[in-house]
Amino acid sequence: MSHIHIDVEEVSFSYELGQEVLKNISFHASENESIGLIGANGAGKSSLLKLLVGLGTNYTGSIRVEEMPVKKDMLPKIREKIGYVFQDSDNQLFMSNVYDDIAFAPRNYGFSEEETERRVENAINMVKIQHLKDKQIYKLSGGEKKMVSIATILGMLPDIILMDEPSIALDPKNRRNLIHILNGFSHLKIIASHDLDMILETCTRTILLSDGKIVQDGSTKEILTDKELLEANGLELPYCMQSIIN
Amino acid sequence: MSKMTGAIYEIHQIDEIAQRKNWINDIHPLIKLIVTIGYILCVVSFHKYDLTGLIIMAVYPASLFILGDLSFLGSIRKLRIVLPLVCAVGIWNPFFDKQPMMLLGAFTITGGMISMVTLMLKGILSVLASYLFIATTTIEKICYALKLLHVPTILVTQILLTYRYISILLSEANRIMTAYLLRAPGQKGIHFKVWGSLAGQLLLGSMDRASRVYESMSLRGYNGTFYFRGKKAIGKNDIFYLLIWILIIGVLRMEVLL
Repeated sequence: MSHIHIDVEEVSFSYELGQEVLKNISFHASENESIGLIGANGAGKSSLLKLLVGLGTNYTGSIRVEEMPVKKDMLPKIREKIGYVFQDSDNQLFMSNVYDDIAFAPRNYGFSEEETERRVENAINMVKIQHLKDKQIYKLSGGEKKMVSIATILGMLPDIILMDEPSIALDPKNRRNLIHILNGFSHLKIIASHDLDMILETCTRTILLSDGKIVQDGSTKEILTDKELLEANGLELPYCMQSIIN
Repeated sequence: MSKMTGAIYEIHQIDEIAQRKNWINDIHPLIKLIVTIGYILCVVSFHKYDLTGLIIMAVYPASLFILGDLSFLGSIRKLRIVLPLVCAVGIWNPFFDKQPMMLLGAFTITGGMISMVTLMLKGILSVLASYLFIATTTIEKICYALKLLHVPTILVTQILLTYRYISILLSEANRIMTAYLLRAPGQKGIHFKVWGSLAGQLLLGSMDRASRVYESMSLRGYNGTFYFRGKKAIGKNDIFYLLIWILIIGVLRMEVLL
């Protein structure tokens, strides 16, 4: 088994007593996989992603990232391995300019200013935002903020990338750019999204959640072309499939 | 532009000015902090009737406005709330100190009048010096300078996060205000009946937002300590800047004493 993997076994989680948002979730994700996490609103996609990085540790069952249990004392090591892109980029970007925001993680992990600069340059080149390097965060457009958010996690050189609704609020050009960038990453990726067309283009495997449970886990093409399955779980066929299958 | 949007814009503008590529911005923050504190201490040390000496001390802010390519009027506009308060400090002096100092035609100028003006001038010069420091130094560099002075880390982090939090709080307030005003046509301001619920919304909204920002920080390795860019050693230019100002301020102060 490759050293980059996530194991989730029989995980249940609730914010309030008696109201489980995740029920008996189990799956294994391994190196280089690109997994789409889909489901209607309130299905538990964001909650599941948050548990994987330890934003909530009072779950039952077992979550292991690269054989490390997701428990409080292991969080610094686990978070060094995982890059998490928030749904709302405004929550992710809090420094005054792009450079400092990307450099935030390497500095926290104790890297020298030279190594930090190398990582920042590398992250900036990967998402092709060289022109934004010294720009103030508040001057960025929604699409630029999303790209900078992705660069902030790349600065950590993570093994695993988790994304919560990465294409939300992006115009078609920026969305296309995001898809190209995601397809260029060889990391283990888990992408939660309602944008099924994007999932179709970026993920080979899909996990369908409904009411906190895994309904289906399999090939993206099979799941996203199963009209009945999708509609039974509050979704519909990806736009590009609608004229072919209907 | 609403007042709230204007306030957010002004904070961003100061950030932007502080990040410009300019030789004054590049001076080591600790040196600028020392010069600023030294200047303020020097200004406040003037005698209450020493108006001439204080006027001469305006050479420091005047030079920085020119060298730093900063707009004087723009700065006064940004300080429009603070300056009247500073000026109000000595307003009662003419009533307490009626000792005649000089005659201006038929008009007697009392000690209270002069001390009022000196007090106002001390306030204005000190506020301007602080503004010039902030306008030429980013908040990260200011905090870095405080760290070098061994100010406790927790306090430095508090200052930095409070500064960042102001924008979050203002954007949250702006969102709530806009949502309210769009559904309350013709109203001037917010009706007092909804003050409570709006303040509650503001508090909960900004707490929620702040906790998400904190989550984002901890996911990127934040453990209570901020690490700053610009950890550079004090160079020749910095020493030169310090010595020049010690000399100028020192000479101006001595001139007055002599």
